[in-house]
Amino acid sequence: MSPIWLGRRLLLVGYTLLVVSLIVFAITQALPADAAVMLLGENATPAALAAVRLRLGLNDPMWLQYWRWLFALLHLDFGTSMRTGLPVGSMMFVALSRSLLLAGCAILMMLVIAVPLGTLAALRRGGVIDLLAGLVSYLGVSLPEFVTATMLLIAFADRLQWLPATGYVPLTQDFLDGLRHLVLPTLTVALILIAHVSRMVRSEMVDVLHSDYIRAARLKGLHAGTILFRHALRNALLPVITVVALDVGYLLGGIIIVEEIFAIPGIGRELIIAIETRDLPAIQAGALIMAATYATANLLADIAYAVLDKRIRYD
Amino acid sequence: MTPVLQVDGYTLDYATRAGAVHVLDDVSLAIAKGEVLGLVGESGSGKTSLAWAITRALPGNAHEAQGTICLSGEDLRGVSTTRLAAIRGRHIGMVFQDPSTSLNPTLTLGRQVGEVLQRHRGLTRAQAEQETIALLRHVELRDPEALLHRYPHEASGGEKQRVVIATAFACRPELIIFDEPTTALDVITGARILDLFQRLRAETHVAALYISHDLALVSRVADRVAVLERGRIVEEARATDVFRAPTHPYTRRLVQAVPRPDRRLVFDTPQETTVLSGRGLGVRYGRARLFGRTHVTGASGISLDVRAGEILGVVGESGSGKSTLARALTGLAPFQGEITFRGRTIAAPRAMDRAYRGAVQIVFQHPDSSLNPRHRIGETLSRPLRLFGAQDKVADLLEQVRLPASYADRYPHQLSGGEKQRVAIARAFAARPALVICDEITAALDVSVQAAVIELLLTLRQLHGTAYLFITHDINLVRQIAHRLAVMRHGALVDLLPIEALSGPDTHPYTRALLAASPTPVGLEGIT
Amino acid sequence: MIELFRRLLRTRQGAIAIILLLVIVIACVAGPFVAPHDPDAISFLGRFHPPDAQYWLGADELGRDVFSRLLIGAGRTVPIALMATLLGTLSGAVIGTLSAYLGGRWDEAIMRTIDAVMAIPGLLLALLIVNTLGKGEFNAMMAIAVAFVPGMARITRSVALVARRQDYVGAAIARGESSAWIVLREMLPNVAAPVVIETTIRVAFAVMLFATLSFLGLGAQPPASDWGLMVADGRRYLHQAPWMIIGAGVAIALTAISFNLLGDGLRDALNPRDER
Repeated sequence: MSPIWLGRRLLLVGYTLLVVSLIVFAITQALPADAAVMLLGENATPAALAAVRLRLGLNDPMWLQYWRWLFALLHLDFGTSMRTGLPVGSMMFVALSRSLLLAGCAILMMLVIAVPLGTLAALRRGGVIDLLAGLVSYLGVSLPEFVTATMLLIAFADRLQWLPATGYVPLTQDFLDGLRHLVLPTLTVALILIAHVSRMVRSEMVDVLHSDYIRAARLKGLHAGTILFRHALRNALLPVITVVALDVGYLLGGIIIVEEIFAIPGIGRELIIAIETRDLPAIQAGALIMAATYATANLLADIAYAVLDKRIRYD
Repeated sequence: MTPVLQVDGYTLDYATRAGAVHVLDDVSLAIAKGEVLGLVGESGSGKTSLAWAITRALPGNAHEAQGTICLSGEDLRGVSTTRLAAIRGRHIGMVFQDPSTSLNPTLTLGRQVGEVLQRHRGLTRAQAEQETIALLRHVELRDPEALLHRYPHEASGGEKQRVVIATAFACRPELIIFDEPTTALDVITGARILDLFQRLRAETHVAALYISHDLALVSRVADRVAVLERGRIVEEARATDVFRAPTHPYTRRLVQAVPRPDRRLVFDTPQETTVLSGRGLGVRYGRARLFGRTHVTGASGISLDVRAGEILGVVGESGSGKSTLARALTGLAPFQGEITFRGRTIAAPRAMDRAYRGAVQIVFQHPDSSLNPRHRIGETLSRPLRLFGAQDKVADLLEQVRLPASYADRYPHQLSGGEKQRVAIARAFAARPALVICDEITAALDVSVQAAVIELLLTLRQLHGTAYLFITHDINLVRQIAHRLAVMRHGALVDLLPIEALSGPDTHPYTRALLAASPTPVGLEGIT
Repeated sequence: MIELFRRLLRTRQGAIAIILLLVIVIACVAGPFVAPHDPDAISFLGRFHPPDAQYWLGADELGRDVFSRLLIGAGRTVPIALMATLLGTLSGAVIGTLSAYLGGRWDEAIMRTIDAVMAIPGLLLALLIVNTLGKGEFNAMMAIAVAFVPGMARITRSVALVARRQDYVGAAIARGESSAWIVLREMLPNVAAPVVIETTIRVAFAVMLFATLSFLGLGAQPPASDWGLMVADGRRYLHQAPWMIIGAGVAIALTAISFNLLGDGLRDALNPRDER
């Protein structure tokens, strides 16, 4: 991994954020909402509205408004929420930390379940575990998050009463209760990841197990465990890194719904509230932060791949 | 004395959707200590399945009908998994065809040699490392200490194959199976690997089963040769006798098909008129990126003429730029320099008009990807006919390449490799070309199929007076048919000389090295 | 076409998919005629009626028959998902093919921009677009189509690049074929198969995305009997009448599963080398 490669890769992240900022700005401009009316209410006098518009620069040409917004962004100033009057940046980053906790739990659960599931399915193709893995993967990619979530709610919160239905308890406040509140949301977002990744692990593993170097390892008389863990697993899991990074897109989309259903004050819920109340600065900040999260995840995955895969030389 | 390996009446089937497929039929062979048995067969003959059977690595649908496979008297068919793991690597070693796929890309070379020592000789990791260095030195690898920590992609093909060989010999096994160990390597590298093999077998007195499709090569490395045809051993003889006195008709056919430089197939001399000439041809492969641009040179400064009706051979190792030259001449790659064709100078692919496109045709190496899988053969052939306004019909074309007219309704996947290549040749001849560029067109084919394709090409040349630019890595083959030979290396032309001058004194050292690495079959010296 | 259908039936996934899809198509076409109850008939006595012989899947908070509403809902959801996918796929395929065809710097620029757009999660993009265009089924459909464009462009491009590298395309260039011929006759038949497979799988996503938008109150509007909307309604009565959710949830899942299965079945059936 050369500095030039890293530099070019970072440049691409910058380009991504620039494109996203343009799209997000364009959409928020097109949204049927008047910032001045939102601030002052329906009954404001035309004179007061005009004054606010002048102060916010709403009469300026579009490119100037974009430039002003972008310029502030570069100084990490995301603007002020029209709904709460508080700085949007800190509001969104606090929300993001809660979402990342949920995302982290989901990815962890996915790794713990999908990797062994896919591996075992590949080792015994056509066996019971393979059938189970196939079923899980079809269910996972066919159940939208809101269906999974409500079904889980019916089963575990309503009928069995094992877990709390909704709400968010910070782990710092009550660790166990916080975890209990996280179980169902995590399960919901993890299901689609498990489906994707276990399928991917399985097919990669099947390919690897049929490769010449695994045959060579077997003909060396190595123990089955050595062959699986030292020779097969690493090669099978490398391509999975990229898929997981791309799946962050689904993950973030799923989080929006899950946070809405389970009333978790994360970035997804903030975004939905912002969209409903036409809180333009909050929409812009939330969407941009989500895109940045996705871009960062992919950057990290590329770096991890470059470090782990000795074959590829980046120049 | 019990032989190291004894296979008796071994019969193997594969269960497939279409029913049982017989792979090996009553195969018997024996290899004594210090002996090398060559096993020769074309693709589908079952030679690789036999290697799998001996190493007990058969696929799940294999059904072993009868027979025994004994290693030093122990029947391998009955051993437990634990015992098998103890035998593999310790008593049987294996060298695979392609070192770049048989080495694990994510483990260092040292680790992959050392793990056998740790497994079977109970060495610690540090001891194994020391022993690995000694082993690597023994297979004539330079700087083994550095190699220890390299990954497969950081070593050349020859180095990797030496590492694989070192691994196979690491525990001094009684038997080593070599499965086409030089096929994936360049000619000169392969020849050196063979030298190493000869030295090691003399030193260790290992019994070896040497599997190959190349009868000429096997006749040189083995003591005895067994010929496998569709699962049956049809002939077994001393290596020196196979070429001199083949007894079975199949062996005779194989011997006939092996390219031999002493047996010329072309006797005429080309005309003096030049069909096409290239001056200072070069190709740079590049990739445009959003930020910057990268370049790799594929070939540069190549000048050559092709005369009417001439067969100009182009030889060189992989990456020497032979295919790049073909791509430049057919306008598939943007090139520098200029091509002169019938008095017209062409400096870019765009300048190639219909007359040029029709007159200069190409046949590719891989028949699988050169025919559109979703077009019937008839569609594939009728298009150039219409494009170049030829009077022939699809059936005529098929007949020219000796395929039945009914093949017009078939899809490429319903044809064998040789048949597909015939279709590709027919497509090239649809335009009545003056020059056909043959880019390794027989490399993917069996020897007997290759011989038939070559014969077809020569017949077509007789008929139409076509010139060929015949690109290959097989010097023996090209010496049979070419009038002149161009030798390429690292994207440059190092030699361009008449075929008779090849054994003369004025050749490039590299050309001599290539010649020396492509020996003629054993036992022929007496005939010529 | 018949040959393809026969090949499809011979794959396990394809056979299951065709049976399921047959049921869905019947529901879409004949739903209004075979529904046992009037889907909009309000019945005070039937409120939260549990599933039994009369109300097969129970009744909702207004006493409307869940099964009948599901049947009617199929006729709306599935066509919208199909239309959205078709629109998104076509636009994406055009961009992807163009990018692969132009190559070089243009390709790089287009693909980097596509990558950038993909940094916005598909659901978020759809949410923003629906809010801009306004709530409703048609706008939801457009939003889904737009959200599909970058992904389809990416896939089409990579498939087209693979096809372009094949020797048969080289042979066509070498004999001087026009660009149109090469793209339409040589590349397209080989690009089409993977794109069709991907499109089929995307219909499943579209069904799910449309239901999600309706669930959030942005797609179909009450009192329409839309599946996503039914789940959203049922959430309030999750304790009294879980069947309101389960019926609609299973309908969404089955539809999505059958398109996923169909995609996998097509993957086998469209492989020209597969001799079975």
